[in-house]
Amino acid sequence: MSMIGILHALALATYVLAGALIASSLAAGSREVSRPALLAIVAAVLAHGAALAAYTAGYGELPLVGLAASISTLAFLIGVGLLISALLRQARPLAVVLIPLIGMLVLAALVLGVRPSGDEFEFRGAWFSLHVVTAFVAYAGLAIAFSAGLLYLLQFRALKEKNFGRAFRFLPPLETLDAVGQRALVLGLGALSFALLLGWAWTVRFRASLTLRNPEVIWGVVTWLVFVSALVARRGGAGGDRRGASAAVAGFMVVVLAYVVLRVMTASGGLFL
Amino acid sequence: MLTLAGLSHHTAPVDVRERFAAEVQAGRHSLAELLALDHVREAVLLSTCNRTELYVVTDGAVDDESLIAMLPKPPGVDGQSLPRFVYIRRGRDVVKHLFRVVSSLDSMILGEPQIQGQVRSAYESAIKLQREQRLVGPVLSRLFESALRVGSRVRSETRLGDGAASIPSAAVELAKKIFGALNGRHAVIVGSGEMSEIAFDCMRQENARISVVSRSEESARRLAARGTAAVHTLPHLPELLANADIVIAATSAPHNVITVEMVRRVLPKGPKQPLLIVDIALPRDVETEVGETPNVFLYNLDDLHQVIEGTMERRRAEVPFAEGIIDSGVEEFQAWHNALEVVPLIRALRQRSEQIRATEVERALRSLRHLSDSDRAAVDILTKQLLAKLLHQPTVRLREAVAAGDGAGIVNAARYLFELESQLENDAG
Repeated sequence: MSMIGILHALALATYVLAGALIASSLAAGSREVSRPALLAIVAAVLAHGAALAAYTAGYGELPLVGLAASISTLAFLIGVGLLISALLRQARPLAVVLIPLIGMLVLAALVLGVRPSGDEFEFRGAWFSLHVVTAFVAYAGLAIAFSAGLLYLLQFRALKEKNFGRAFRFLPPLETLDAVGQRALVLGLGALSFALLLGWAWTVRFRASLTLRNPEVIWGVVTWLVFVSALVARRGGAGGDRRGASAAVAGFMVVVLAYVVLRVMTASGGLFL
Repeated sequence: MLTLAGLSHHTAPVDVRERFAAEVQAGRHSLAELLALDHVREAVLLSTCNRTELYVVTDGAVDDESLIAMLPKPPGVDGQSLPRFVYIRRGRDVVKHLFRVVSSLDSMILGEPQIQGQVRSAYESAIKLQREQRLVGPVLSRLFESALRVGSRVRSETRLGDGAASIPSAAVELAKKIFGALNGRHAVIVGSGEMSEIAFDCMRQENARISVVSRSEESARRLAARGTAAVHTLPHLPELLANADIVIAATSAPHNVITVEMVRRVLPKGPKQPLLIVDIALPRDVETEVGETPNVFLYNLDDLHQVIEGTMERRRAEVPFAEGIIDSGVEEFQAWHNALEVVPLIRALRQRSEQIRATEVERALRSLRHLSDSDRAAVDILTKQLLAKLLHQPTVRLREAVAAGDGAGIVNAARYLFELESQLENDAG
């Protein structure tokens, strides 16, 4: 196994350890993510960052092209997002959803083999990197909004049904989950809009036309609509927070489903991540 | 000997406990009088609303009757019936008892946080008086400092203090699970009785923005005077509901004060932001159906008890971990205390050995007059060094055996073998 693979395996093992520690905090009826679990998350993200740095140094390019490399980078950005949200102490239990998600993505990257795809793209260079990184930041934001939304719905249900068990104690306040979810959506929408504009500008500049049949464009537009819908759902009458949470959860699922459908449809030929 | 005489919620009814607490608070019980007794060397009196305990260090054992006589004598408590309320602990049991008290394992509400401060304050009061009255000596000082350390360890290493264990704290816990911090949240308190006062104080502690609603403006004003709050009468309740975050209902009204019809009228689709309604009145103030309104969370006393019971269950599961910390603290203290008992013996052994050495050196030097001053000094140093080497190992072994708790036989053997009984008695005298 190469150094990149070893570092990915190390990151995966540390994510698994962090997941186990979080699960034990939850099972023990703790009020929050324990310090060892938090340290394990930091260690895992650092190991993951080292793996991607090794990739960049080894292949002389950022890990933005090719399915495994892209998945790994996306997982890393979700991990970074988790650490940023963990600065808010009450938001740390988001890890209970995000760590398994990151773990699955890293495992998928490992199974696929983290190496450059070898495909030639016309759209490369600094603008390409910026386009992909901002798009990945948007998807990481959606993952965090999904996590916050899911926990919001669980905590809302526990409060409404007066089920004051372990999950109730462990999960953050509704207000915190709502604030994290909303910020993740706003940041994600901004990042995705910028990424889409960059892609559109490049296409118009060099290809003179923009085809809506391109699966990446379709996926990008679907995701953008999901962001907008989730933010719009929050507005209006009573229960906007809950509608926003539901929309973030449903929207994330729509984006994942859209990816799978587009991936299957383009399996025979077209290039799609 | 370390001894304790006390009464607590386990042994005495509240009317007896409160008389003792009042007596101590009034400062009518003087520990200085205790110290005037020949056999009492140190004393600390611990008094809370739930317990009054006297910790004393005495020369030798003291019988139960004398210990009970040392306790405060509040008016209205029959001296004849007092012994049935009092418990006596001696030696190691005193250490374990105090460590359990400080760790709140002996409290009425398991895991309550106040006891540690109360013990600290009793100990500090005794320390303040120490200069004049020598209340706290090495044993009680070490005992209380160890107890406070053990209490802190139990608090930080276990989850014995986690969660809400009273009605007001359960309400605050629920509110925090919805709103996070309550700072600046609009809390409407309906009613002006005793429960409303408790609710008011809780919300004020959390820096909530408070409105008080009562049947009469006068009673609302009286409650609002406990802090800063807006004052309203019951007819204004519907409009307050429309912009409240938290409503705490605690009136003595025989009927529902907040009805589903009222809520639907002011919030036809439910509130935009979550609305928490806590009904701590009996009979209830809030119609049950109000809880079915979207985005409204309604809890009554039974629900709050459910939160408390969950907390107590988790706290009870932490007791074995706390007991483990306490046991290790007791072992540590006992090792120190046992070692303290061997100090006079070692001192006597060294004094006696030095007397023998000095006598024998003097006698020997009288017959060695030809020696120069430097040679005489060399002989003196040689014998001192010899003695120090000979006594080093027995001293170390004595300390080790006593610290390990099995040194009684060895200590007695050392007393007997070196004929130290009379010297120890003289030292004690």
